Amino acid sequence: MNWIDIVTIMRDEWSIIGILILLLAGEILVDKKQLSMLIPIAIGLFVLHTAMSFIPGDKATLFGGMYRTNEMMHFMKAILNVAVLIILFQSYDWVKTTLLPNGMANAFYMLLFAVLSGMYFLISAGDFIMFFIGFELSTLPIAAMAAFQLKEMRSTEAGIKLVLLAGLASGIMLYGISLMYAVTGTLYFDGFLSAYYHEPLLVFGFILFLSGLAFKISLVPFHFWAPDVYEGAPIAITSLLSVVSKAASVFILMILLLTVFKDLSDAWKMVLYILAVLTMTIGNLFALRQTNMKRFLAFSSIAQAGFILLGILAGGAVGAATVIYFVLIYVFTNLGAFGVIQAIKDESGKEDMTDYTGLYRTNPKLSLVLVLALFSLAGIPPVAGFFGKFFLFSAAAGKGYYILLIIAVINVTISLYYYLLPIRAMLLRTSDTPIPTTKSGNMMRIGLLICVAGIMILGLYSPVYSFVLGLTQSWL
Amino acid sequence: MTERIIFYILAFIMIVFSLMSVTSTKIIRSAIYLLGVLMATAGLYFLFNLNFLGAIQLTVYAGGIMVLIVIAILLTHHVGFGLPVPDKKHMILGWLAAMIGITISFFQFTTHTFKPKIGNLDDRVSKMGADMLHYGDGGFVLPFEVISILLLAGIIAAITIAKGGIPHLKKRLKSGQPTTVSSSTKKQ
Repeated sequence: MNWIDIVTIMRDEWSIIGILILLLAGEILVDKKQLSMLIPIAIGLFVLHTAMSFIPGDKATLFGGMYRTNEMMHFMKAILNVAVLIILFQSYDWVKTTLLPNGMANAFYMLLFAVLSGMYFLISAGDFIMFFIGFELSTLPIAAMAAFQLKEMRSTEAGIKLVLLAGLASGIMLYGISLMYAVTGTLYFDGFLSAYYHEPLLVFGFILFLSGLAFKISLVPFHFWAPDVYEGAPIAITSLLSVVSKAASVFILMILLLTVFKDLSDAWKMVLYILAVLTMTIGNLFALRQTNMKRFLAFSSIAQAGFILLGILAGGAVGAATVIYFVLIYVFTNLGAFGVIQAIKDESGKEDMTDYTGLYRTNPKLSLVLVLALFSLAGIPPVAGFFGKFFLFSAAAGKGYYILLIIAVINVTISLYYYLLPIRAMLLRTSDTPIPTTKSGNMMRIGLLICVAGIMILGLYSPVYSFVLGLTQSWL
Repeated sequence: MTERIIFYILAFIMIVFSLMSVTSTKIIRSAIYLLGVLMATAGLYFLFNLNFLGAIQLTVYAGGIMVLIVIAILLTHHVGFGLPVPDKKHMILGWLAAMIGITISFFQFTTHTFKPKIGNLDDRVSKMGADMLHYGDGGFVLPFEVISILLLAGIIAAITIAKGGIPHLKKRLKSGQPTTVSSSTKKQ
């Protein structure tokens, strides 16, 4: 290992931290009145960073095993980059109108990039120390960002709730890690389990460790923070939490379960089975009753996380590929839905489902994007969401999880009902006080266009899945 | 034998103080009880001959962090003001969960045979410093640097929230609204 290796292999991390430092220098050096010029710089640099992350990565291990990467992890980081890029486009107007006058615009970008770098280290972690630092770095700044709308008490409440419950989850997780360390005597992932996987204390520690991650993915029964935080936080932060943060945590969960904790699969398969059933069912039942669009999407994203567990349960290269593919689709789909809600909130300040009645007559384009996103979430062909679910289910069926599959299919049917509710309100109903015609900014349009393109292309163009499968096959 | 007795005394202090810290309804007292737990932990480190770690525990946690906590409490909270007592249902459920956790942990710890770490621990400070900057096997330069990013993010977040709050605070002062969140203005 030499310095050139460290620079070229960790180029994603270097580049995002470089942007972060550049913005920090800008914040200090640029005149207060000209701070707005940092916004296009931040977005421009991040576009370059995202483009660069599509150059394929290599398989490597650095820092004595603390950092490891391969083609698949590199692709995961690229997915996260695309998601953050979409959020940057969609939040542009909000940042300009709400954050910039308070002098918080630059901090928003710096914290966002710090969170993203934390997610990189989380995915590339080679031992529990790096894992935990990445975990914290990708959670704590989000809590501050959730409280960014200082005028609104709900936003502050969301921030405090997130920081307290994240602290609790970290505590439980650290306790689990320390128990596992007491048994194995090492914190490195390599050779972590070797001879100890039959020890009950290790299983106990592992379950505590898993609950910390389950909190971050908001699996039932660790989901209590999610709806309140999602509702109170600004929409850009809600999409960050429910898409990017969830995607990163699902990735590392999958990596850990399929490699490091492979020998413990008897224990975690049972736990994941129960978590999957609970998450799908309870997420769905609560989503049925929601009237606030953000809260509604919060519960729907809890239910979606339950489906993802099916792919992890299936395991192997095929299961891993279906998980990555589903998350990729989920990024475009959910960000599309959140983007429309953001566009409407920016313009009219409304986010209740009843306000969306008759939206098609005043805002046909926005409502079509939302319809497309909801169709994809529900899994209706030919949009991408159908294939995401189809591959997950067929992977689970291939491993003989038939009962779980029946429960999942029942849940998909229930979800179809509530995903169609806003669609009915928008397309078929008329309202006396519809949301006036909104004119979104260009950045928002680009963000929504990327989502629509993603939903359509992933549904119609199959080589993407084969590409992902090739990555996971070379990994496992 | 003496080591054993000292260990049990310290462990007893830690258990009692942590219980009192959680159950006290006066927040400043909770903080002081927490101080007791942290000091006893430092005592454990000294008992195990981990002098540097013990010193760090005393200066950073018992010293620095505790002062921060006390100042934060004094700035935001009325010291004599008691916290609301949780209702019976939550109390019972909480104790039940704690008891189940303790029972499971106790069973696990007593049935597991822990392997002692063989070999002398090199806890010279110079060795630790070298490890911190070492980027090969067994080095910690990467976590060390990433923690600095975490700190940077924390500082940015804290400054932004504190600074962003000022215009709203001024507005509230002008209009005669209360500047702190009292129970009446909280969201129901």
